[in-house]
Amino acid sequence: MRVSRTQGVHLVLVGFALALIARSGWVQLRQRARWQAEARDQQTVERAMPAVRGRILDASGVVLVDSRELVRIDVAPTEIRDRAALAAALRRVGVLDAFVQRATDLGRKWVELPGQHLATDVADLLAMRGVHPRRVIERVPPATAGLRNLLGVVDREGRAVGGVEAALDGALRGRDGRTVLVRAGRNGALTSPEERVEPPVPGRTVVLTLHQGLQDIAERALADAIAALGARGGDVVVLDPRDGAIRALASRRARPDATGATALTEPYEPGSTLKPFVAAALLDRGLARVEESIPTYNGRFTLNGRTIADVHEAPSLTFAEVMQYSSNIGIVQFAQRLSPRDQYGVLRDAGFGMVTGVPYPSESPGRLRPVPEWSLQSPASLAMGYEIAVTPLQLALAYGAIANGGELLEPQLVREIRDAEDRVTFRASRRVVRRLMSEATARTMRGLLRDVVEGGTATAADLAVYSLGGKSGTARRTRDDGRGYEAGAYTASFVGLFPAEEPQLVILVKLDDPKGAYGGVTAAPVTKAVLAAAIAARDGALDPSGLRGPPPTPRPAGEAEAGKVAASPGPVDGVVAPSGATGPVGAGVPPAAPVRRSEPPERPPVTFDLARPSRPEGVVDSLRAVPDVTGLPTRAAVRVLHAAGFRVVLVGVGAGPSTSPAAGTLLPGGALVRLPSAR
Amino acid sequence: MRGRSLVLLGLLAFVVVAAGVIWRRSVGVAQARTLRELRETRGSLAATEAALEGAIRDASSRARLARTVEERLGMRIPPESLVIRLPRPTPDAGR
Repeated sequence: MRVSRTQGVHLVLVGFALALIARSGWVQLRQRARWQAEARDQQTVERAMPAVRGRILDASGVVLVDSRELVRIDVAPTEIRDRAALAAALRRVGVLDAFVQRATDLGRKWVELPGQHLATDVADLLAMRGVHPRRVIERVPPATAGLRNLLGVVDREGRAVGGVEAALDGALRGRDGRTVLVRAGRNGALTSPEERVEPPVPGRTVVLTLHQGLQDIAERALADAIAALGARGGDVVVLDPRDGAIRALASRRARPDATGATALTEPYEPGSTLKPFVAAALLDRGLARVEESIPTYNGRFTLNGRTIADVHEAPSLTFAEVMQYSSNIGIVQFAQRLSPRDQYGVLRDAGFGMVTGVPYPSESPGRLRPVPEWSLQSPASLAMGYEIAVTPLQLALAYGAIANGGELLEPQLVREIRDAEDRVTFRASRRVVRRLMSEATARTMRGLLRDVVEGGTATAADLAVYSLGGKSGTARRTRDDGRGYEAGAYTASFVGLFPAEEPQLVILVKLDDPKGAYGGVTAAPVTKAVLAAAIAARDGALDPSGLRGPPPTPRPAGEAEAGKVAASPGPVDGVVAPSGATGPVGAGVPPAAPVRRSEPPERPPVTFDLARPSRPEGVVDSLRAVPDVTGLPTRAAVRVLHAAGFRVVLVGVGAGPSTSPAAGTLLPGGALVRLPSAR
Repeated sequence: MRGRSLVLLGLLAFVVVAAGVIWRRSVGVAQARTLRELRETRGSLAATEAALEGAIRDASSRARLARTVEERLGMRIPPESLVIRLPRPTPDAGR
């Protein structure tokens, strides 16, 4: 068969077409998966979606730590159209001239500018050609240094560094998501409804037991005291003894390397503030009576070759006076009625020598040596608060047992944890570690501690209207190398129970080497300053229904507040050289100037008409129910909540209940209620 | 209608369908771009809101205000003897 030229061309074309079809079939059927994957790689890009770290709130809902999105600016100089305009825009947002020059240098391909900006602040800049934003999430740290020490920080890579941030990183961190974007040429990458998206899971919200108002008060009082007394540092712990909630925790050091919450990490010898626990053990076991007298040898007593001295020189003192005047001689002799094993057990039961369990990464257990390691002097030293190291939190918790009727509680720092849908996933509850003393003993101890403030070593803390109990302590400071004690350096402290009858707060103030040394004249006034500010505050720091002071005719405590202290140190807590010393080492220390602020003069009384209730009906004591605002427009809902006495914060779109906490929840007046702004 | 007319119709149909596909795709890309810009705007505004809330919190915090009112207005924290907590009247008070 002869094939014409035309047929030949046709055959070639047909053959070509068949080959094309075959190849097409091969590619589309046989190699389908491979080419699909290749096309997908070319057309799409996978991006991580970082999870927003959870917020940290205080007990009343005030935001302490939050995250926000910022932009970093990169510039591709070769893409710029108007260099002068870009340079002007960069200068407007605060970019330094050196970087402006780099950003407009055509010899460079890519310039990363320092600094992070709010996108709205640099909107004009971002609209320019050649400017490439990089979105980053910044963790906004707490406003005050004390809170930063406690809560920790997050580094630039988003890793928690220290504090609550590190301890609760698992809850706060959330889970990153991922998304697949479709490349769209100069339009960048776009989302596509066909592409799979794994949304990020935001971190959980952690609500602490801290009260920001109290925290501010404590931090300021501590800073003022350190400045006024030239101290090296100090700590303040404010605790609710009813449930163990830490309400404020302030730490401050002159050393720049001390950045942690030293109230949790730095143990110290507590001195006389430890005496109440030995005393309570003696009363609890029936080994001593409050009215019982004991010789105190006019302030000098030798035991096992060691001379113990009292600042308050008396021939004899009752058990109550031993506490009131902080007699070392008295407590040492009383403590001899306890066996070393019992004495160790008492201190161990009070929680000393072990961590409290507060969620903080580097909490110190302190130090309490077991009985076999004791020397002959140890029982006497321990009775006076030496040869033991406690953290301020441990000591505050132990005083909490005296305040609440004898129960040692676990500390609470986290009140609750909520997930992204505002569901509570953890809520703290009151947890009793053990009973430290009977209720009767705790009541007796509260009375003895009130006498310390009203006529003992801590009159500088005395309040005019309300009663305060407490114990001061002054202990020699160990040297930094741990070898012996530093000459003339003391740790002054005071632990107060307020109000003395039914305490709502335990306040521990510790000052490192203040001028004036004695805890009763340096640390006690700080407690008073904290309490005065807390009483004057109207932000829920104290439960007013539990403050039943005398009728509004305050006793003339002007002298008690200042005069007594300024004139003379008066009775001060016993200071003793721990081992081998021969006299009251506190002798010669000048009396401290009490930390006081100028007070306004008395004003004429103001009359209020009490006939008209100032609170809405249905208020139970200081608690009130959150009203149901379901279905109301946002503006009306805010009005209803305000009228009910709550503060309102609008949050983003909410699909859950109409308010958080939900309607019907009992909250104190002034508490923060969150309301979704678009419901 | 035969031959060239059918081919013409076929080509026309192809052009119409192709134009429709391209138009639909262009609209989709434009909407996706708008969506992306709105998301970015929303994120920026949320960040600004967070920054402003933080600034308000900081400015209205006790730590900031207390010093300011003391220095500028001469106000002081009153001692507790000057703070009188008023008793809440009983429900039938004043009747």
